[in-house]
Amino acid sequence: MSKKWKATLLGIGLVMPSFLILLILVMYPVWSSIKTSFTGEDGQFTFEHYIYIFTEPLILTNIRHTLTVTILSCVFVLIIAYSIAIYLRFSQSTVAKWINKTYLIPMFIPGVIAVYGFINFYRDNGWVARIIGDEHMPTIIYNVKGLLMINIWFNIPFTTMLLISALQSIPNSIIEGAKDAGANQWRLFWHFILPLSYRTMLVALTFLFMGIVGSFTAPFLIDKNAPQMLGVSMQQHFSVFNEIEQSSSLAVFMFLLCSIVGYFYIYSNIKESKKEMK
Amino acid sequence: MTIKLSIENLSKIYPTGEGVQNIDFHVNEGELVTLLGPSGCGKTTVLRSVGGFIDPTSGAIKISNKEVHHLPSEKRPSAMVFQSYNLWPHMTVFDNLAFSLKLKKVKKKEIQMKVEEVLTLVHLTGMEKKYPSELSGGQQQRIALARALLLEPEVLLLDEPFSALDAKLRHELREELREIQSKRNLTMLFVTHDQEEALSISDKIVVMNNGHIEQIDNPQEVYNAPNSLFVAQFIGRMNFIKGKSVNNTIQIGDLTFIHNDAYTGDVTIGIRPEDIQLATANTRNIEAQIDKIMMLGHFAEITLKTMIGSLKMFVDRQQMEQFVLKSTIPIQLNNFLVFKETGEVLNNRRMEVYENI
Repeated sequence: MSKKWKATLLGIGLVMPSFLILLILVMYPVWSSIKTSFTGEDGQFTFEHYIYIFTEPLILTNIRHTLTVTILSCVFVLIIAYSIAIYLRFSQSTVAKWINKTYLIPMFIPGVIAVYGFINFYRDNGWVARIIGDEHMPTIIYNVKGLLMINIWFNIPFTTMLLISALQSIPNSIIEGAKDAGANQWRLFWHFILPLSYRTMLVALTFLFMGIVGSFTAPFLIDKNAPQMLGVSMQQHFSVFNEIEQSSSLAVFMFLLCSIVGYFYIYSNIKESKKEMK
Repeated sequence: MTIKLSIENLSKIYPTGEGVQNIDFHVNEGELVTLLGPSGCGKTTVLRSVGGFIDPTSGAIKISNKEVHHLPSEKRPSAMVFQSYNLWPHMTVFDNLAFSLKLKKVKKKEIQMKVEEVLTLVHLTGMEKKYPSELSGGQQQRIALARALLLEPEVLLLDEPFSALDAKLRHELREELREIQSKRNLTMLFVTHDQEEALSISDKIVVMNNGHIEQIDNPQEVYNAPNSLFVAQFIGRMNFIKGKSVNNTIQIGDLTFIHNDAYTGDVTIGIRPEDIQLATANTRNIEAQIDKIMMLGHFAEITLKTMIGSLKMFVDRQQMEQFVLKSTIPIQLNNFLVFKETGEVLNNRRMEVYENI
């Protein structure tokens, strides 16, 4: 056997275990879900499950609800995290130093514990209600407001971390050069900080969207019974109503949603890489 | 001559206690002044204070007789060329150059014309559509210079602009810079730690050490008549011999150096390598053994063993056949300087008198 063949076989041998794990644990369930979603009761190819999920008013409301919560959460998280990241990048104050030390804490609190803590804090007879009085307490838990708040709480640390790293990679000298050329704070942001950090913002947006659109714990514990987020709806179709085909169709739909967002991220990366390769 | 930039009693003290103190000098219109000194001496602090990137602790900075030290950098009539080029990576060369003009709301046609003109000046015509990553280091620094020139600053500040470039390109660019400076009558404040660079392009050199100014003079004076031991050590090469001055004389071995300063105490005699030559007369000769020969391109550095210590001299390439390793030659010392123990130079510089006993 030639050396070239030996090297080829060694390469395949090294890659194979991880490839097989990917095939068994990821690819097969994905393929199985897609197949189930297109299979009718008679075992024949059909679109009936998709027709059902896109015509059934309750599921359509769930889709709308999921998209609204996801988009609003992404927008709020991006605005808040970007503002914090900019503050931490450019401020030398003691407050900034303290925020820098503490902003990652939520990442280390298990999701279920955080959600229960949140419920105890904000429910109608929770701690906040006891402090400000029941009559002044708005409904937060079992309401979309609560879901948005907990999504923001969960996602700000990681998003801020990503954005800070992007902002820190902008050298001070670039900012100084821009100031020297006459750029004020607004122009500095619009012409330099934003264009030089938007790629990371896109990465953050992709992660945020995928994480929120498929979230389960928080919507299951905090959101109202109807409409539901797709993650909860899918679980109910699967385990409560035993509608495996419908839940598979919902899963495929969710996968497509994430793929669209992923496409924009990959497209922008390819575009940037082409520019760098020039 | 009109004073363009005036720095008056400028001090900047950092929390660590380091910084610059009582910096006081001015730059005339159309003059290229260099701040020269070793790393950490405070030259960049002074330059960045002028540019508005550092708030001075005290003192005043005036450009065209107007105080500017309270203004933010974007409002100062100065422009800076940075060490790391600082081109904006997400913009093309054209956008990099046009940015400041767009802010000033200059008409499109005029922007186009000005950009083309400045690109011709820095020999980079046709590069408008390229991104900084597509340019070499030298080209990037030329664009950085062009960008600063487009701001039409009253004072152009340059922070070690050529330090990241190779020696040949550095040489080429400093010649171009000098040409542009005289063509446009620009007022420039230039920072470098490269003495050769400073000596070759400056009208005036401000030598800095440890946060204060050691000497302000033209390049010839700084080289020929350094006013302190630090300047003598920092600028060019110099041989140093320790001795003691008593009654206007310094006795070292069999040699007596005579000077006209009544100072009594420990001194250091400084002799430039080019001031040591092969003896041409029979008087005032010193015997020297050739210990080492180092070829440095068009000249050689020769290390000599003499009765007053080890000395280095420079010899032209053409004269090299007269110098054979380990042979003994007669030399004479043409000029020397005497420095007090504190580092100060004695009043009478470049004394030429010494006697053999």
